[in-house]
Amino acid sequence: MKKKLTALALAALMLLLAACGGGGKTADAGQADPADMSFEELTEAARGTTVTFYGWGGDELLNQWLDDVFAPRMKEKYDITMERVPMDIDQVLSQLSGEIQAGEEDGSIDMIWINGENFQSAKENGMLYGPFVDKLPSFQQYIDAESEDVTLDFAYPIEGYEAPYGKAQMVLIADTAVTPDLPKNTDELMQFVQANPGKVTYPALPDFTGSVFVRNIIYDICGYEQFLDMEPDKETVRAAIEPALEYLRQLNPCLWNEGKTFPESSTTVDNMFADGELVLNVTYEAYSTSVKIENGTYTPTTQSFQFDKGTIGNTNFMAIAANSGNKAGAMVAINEMMTPEVQADRYKVLKVLPVVDYDKLSDEQKAAFDAVELGLGNIPQDELLSKRLPEMPAELVPVIEEIWLEEVVGR
Amino acid sequence: MRRKSVLSGALLAAGAVVILLPMAVMAIWVFTERWAWPALWPQSFSLRAVREVLHRSGQLAGVLASSVGISLAVAVLSVIVGLMTARAVTAYDFPGKGLAVFFTSLPLMVPVTVFAMGVQVTFIRLGLNNTVHGVILAHLLYSLPYAVYLITDGMRALGVSLEEQARVLGATGPGAFRRVTLPLLAPVLLAAFSMAYIVSFSQYFLTLLLGGGQVKTFTMVMVPYLQGGERNIASVYSVLFLAVTFLLLTLFGRLARRWMRHGGGDFYG
Repeated sequence: MKKKLTALALAALMLLLAACGGGGKTADAGQADPADMSFEELTEAARGTTVTFYGWGGDELLNQWLDDVFAPRMKEKYDITMERVPMDIDQVLSQLSGEIQAGEEDGSIDMIWINGENFQSAKENGMLYGPFVDKLPSFQQYIDAESEDVTLDFAYPIEGYEAPYGKAQMVLIADTAVTPDLPKNTDELMQFVQANPGKVTYPALPDFTGSVFVRNIIYDICGYEQFLDMEPDKETVRAAIEPALEYLRQLNPCLWNEGKTFPESSTTVDNMFADGELVLNVTYEAYSTSVKIENGTYTPTTQSFQFDKGTIGNTNFMAIAANSGNKAGAMVAINEMMTPEVQADRYKVLKVLPVVDYDKLSDEQKAAFDAVELGLGNIPQDELLSKRLPEMPAELVPVIEEIWLEEVVGR
Repeated sequence: MRRKSVLSGALLAAGAVVILLPMAVMAIWVFTERWAWPALWPQSFSLRAVREVLHRSGQLAGVLASSVGISLAVAVLSVIVGLMTARAVTAYDFPGKGLAVFFTSLPLMVPVTVFAMGVQVTFIRLGLNNTVHGVILAHLLYSLPYAVYLITDGMRALGVSLEEQARVLGATGPGAFRRVTLPLLAPVLLAAFSMAYIVSFSQYFLTLLLGGGQVKTFTMVMVPYLQGGERNIASVYSVLFLAVTFLLLTLFGRLARRWMRHGGGDFYG
């Protein structure tokens, strides 16, 4: 019977060999420098190649859309194979920096889903390719290149190194059957928290969502204008946000676990809210409420809302790795992602706020956006966007996160 | 005596509850959309998670096959290298032996993230990054300590006397090893094999960093849903993970028992 074990071992090794054969690299898209090529030439060079798209993979709806809608579209239209690689941005950047350090020129990463301080550090460390967005016809045609949503990423100049992918905006979520009165500013939020002791919290910073919640509190109490050109000096920032820090400390005793600890991620807070353990949720995905009501995760009486002074919105982007082996293919894919058809489909299926400029669209294209049903629990788009506040400079974000850890947690 | 059996029965029951209850809850979560406090039973069920995973079944089958293949390769290599190391350590004396033993356990002492970051640059230079054999090599480094420890212990307990006896009775060196020592070591080899398999199959960070997202294993597909808080989809994957591991380990156990009984027939009658 030892033959069986030998057979098993052999089978394992054969599987291994077969798997090795399959691990092909992405094809190189010609030798010419993509910077000197027209978009038509890029399309031609990218034909038959594979483009890898690295980004967060925890949203099944988005994953399916990328695999079942976007990938077939790219294959059919440009003969480009899209390969989605689910990975957190920290790991993407550490892999990229490892490859660049080791001098790898035909890198495994082509497209990256990125924004904010990650973009800033990647760009400053020469890890991104660019400028490239001006080459893309859909950027020229449909994107408002002057708008701050497109020129600045957390107040950091983009300079053509990333192209807009979707818009996000922070909203608060509560179930009106449980808490009928929704807070419209920080004073009312204080009363709300005191009326529901132990049932409100926010994700521990540096979680993206926890971080934007705190910045939004700061904006509501201290105003936002002063931060847009503030130096990232810790003492300056500390002095400017002191009233907000005091407010957050006053919140603590009534928060979940008395503010001694905070949930480690926004997804945990999402689940705690869905479970009824919390009565307030915060999210960057402004239109996720209707999707979750449809799934049955949230009750139909769940409603998203904003502060009267507004909530912070930002844009997320697509960039290209400096050592990408297929820059031409990545540019073609990014261009396609910004077409009105794709943006309208993302709005319809994923409820992602579009990045195209409505005024630049044809009537037919406008109709595609107008036809999208808002769904239960969402804020109408014009109202949402009219209360959209700009992000702070990216360098301030880690400074505030540090101060929060020192002065708010457990105080 | 009676008292003792009641106590051990209670402990066993408690252990079973601690292990089985979470698994039962996980099975329920496969079909759950909303299970809010204070209800004891979910408020809304759906087949969404199952459907979404089934929708990917073609792709998933490929990932599962490559994942099992990688882990089996790691397990086979671990047992071979572990066996040779154990033999060297127990049967021979050589300079630097203590150091060699120490080095085999080193991967358990260095945090996996630190190890992965360091080895990534080396792997890129050697052209091993983003390849299946690179990932197998990295997994091997992590599962070897377990294999080496288990097999060394087994071999030490067994000693060399039975093998020497076989030599006295006329067996050749390799013959005595193959027909006497190996079958007697079967239980230990099985434990080492299973352990190495599990270490490799559940590895996430190493695969992620050294496979660069291009080597897709089961955990690579599963972990984003755990991190993304998609509990029902994560539960479907977890149940699959458990089922596959359980099936394979049962199979290994059966094979090893048969081999032990037949190969070592002279001893076990």
